[in-house]
Amino acid sequence: MDPASRNPPGPQQPAPDALHRRARRRSRYGVAAMDDDVRPWDAAAPLVRAAQSGDALAMDDLLKLVTPYVTRLCAPIAPDDTADAVQESLLAVFRGLRGLRDPQAFYGWVRAVTVREAVRVARRSASETPADPEEIVRLRDLLPGIGGELSVEVRDLLARLPLRHRTVLVLRELEGMDERATAELIGVPEGTVKSRLSRARSSFRKAWTR
Amino acid sequence: MNSPDPVARLRVLAAGLRAPLYAEARIALPFDQVWAVIADLEGELPHLISFVREFRVPPGDSERKAAQAVDVLGLRGPFDVRLSPGWCLMQSRLVTMGMAAAPDGTGTRLAVCGAARPAALGPVQRVYRSLLGRRRTRAFFREVERRAALR
Repeated sequence: MDPASRNPPGPQQPAPDALHRRARRRSRYGVAAMDDDVRPWDAAAPLVRAAQSGDALAMDDLLKLVTPYVTRLCAPIAPDDTADAVQESLLAVFRGLRGLRDPQAFYGWVRAVTVREAVRVARRSASETPADPEEIVRLRDLLPGIGGELSVEVRDLLARLPLRHRTVLVLRELEGMDERATAELIGVPEGTVKSRLSRARSSFRKAWTR
Repeated sequence: MNSPDPVARLRVLAAGLRAPLYAEARIALPFDQVWAVIADLEGELPHLISFVREFRVPPGDSERKAAQAVDVLGLRGPFDVRLSPGWCLMQSRLVTMGMAAAPDGTGTRLAVCGAARPAALGPVQRVYRSLLGRRRTRAFFREVERRAALR
């Protein structure tokens, strides 16, 4: 199965259920009439515009809206320092918010900032610890035959991968990004992403069958 | 972690607002005792912030309220207030003020943030900075602690 199709919370669809619920609650920024088809990035756009103009209440709403998405990205990349990675990412996002020209591009931009910050925080950490099981469960298709069961060993295997491999796995398998987008986001050539991805998948499978 | 603690959340907002004023302090009193002072906006805010003469807040437990400030500069006006345990964000047409608290061992970490709205940047921002500079924030924390200790 194509990872992008089995992973809806990708770049264009972050945490759709939670975001939809929040979007429907909003009326202050002209999105009161949204129905169930509203897309999360549409819900964020009016908040982004209001926050850019200095509206603290909109900024707070946007912060609450985007924190679960940022947390979901940070947890597998910086499993040992997730709280730090989330806080550093949110600080970077909101410091840079006024420079974002297209509010519709908010989530793609948040993802780029978050991955950069999460990798930076993870590099500071000397130890490697298992990632959140809820995140790892979404990697199960890497391991044909294990079905929905995930063990401590699977968590440990992922967490023991080098950070550069963990990062491409998260972006490709959890976020459903293609190699080109992943390469642009982490600032390496597309071929490097392909080779890292191949080695990461191979290491993961070999370690699993050992 | 799906939501940062209130103090971390206020730190992010202060960064986003480029707030001229942001300060944190540890108060050696339990969270409930400290937050009781902050949450009593109508009764306590005029004691905590010298230029607020009166702050009228509609009764009730709603987390979103429309308050009315009367201050010594005559910048009276409506404030949107969001108030929940550990979190208070108030915004008028001209200014934003936030207060956040979280338990810190047996004490409480308290943060305060103030910013002028961008449409009114310039003179207002400078006035606000002078009204709520470092000396004022120290006085604010001292007064919160003093009034919390009385409870």
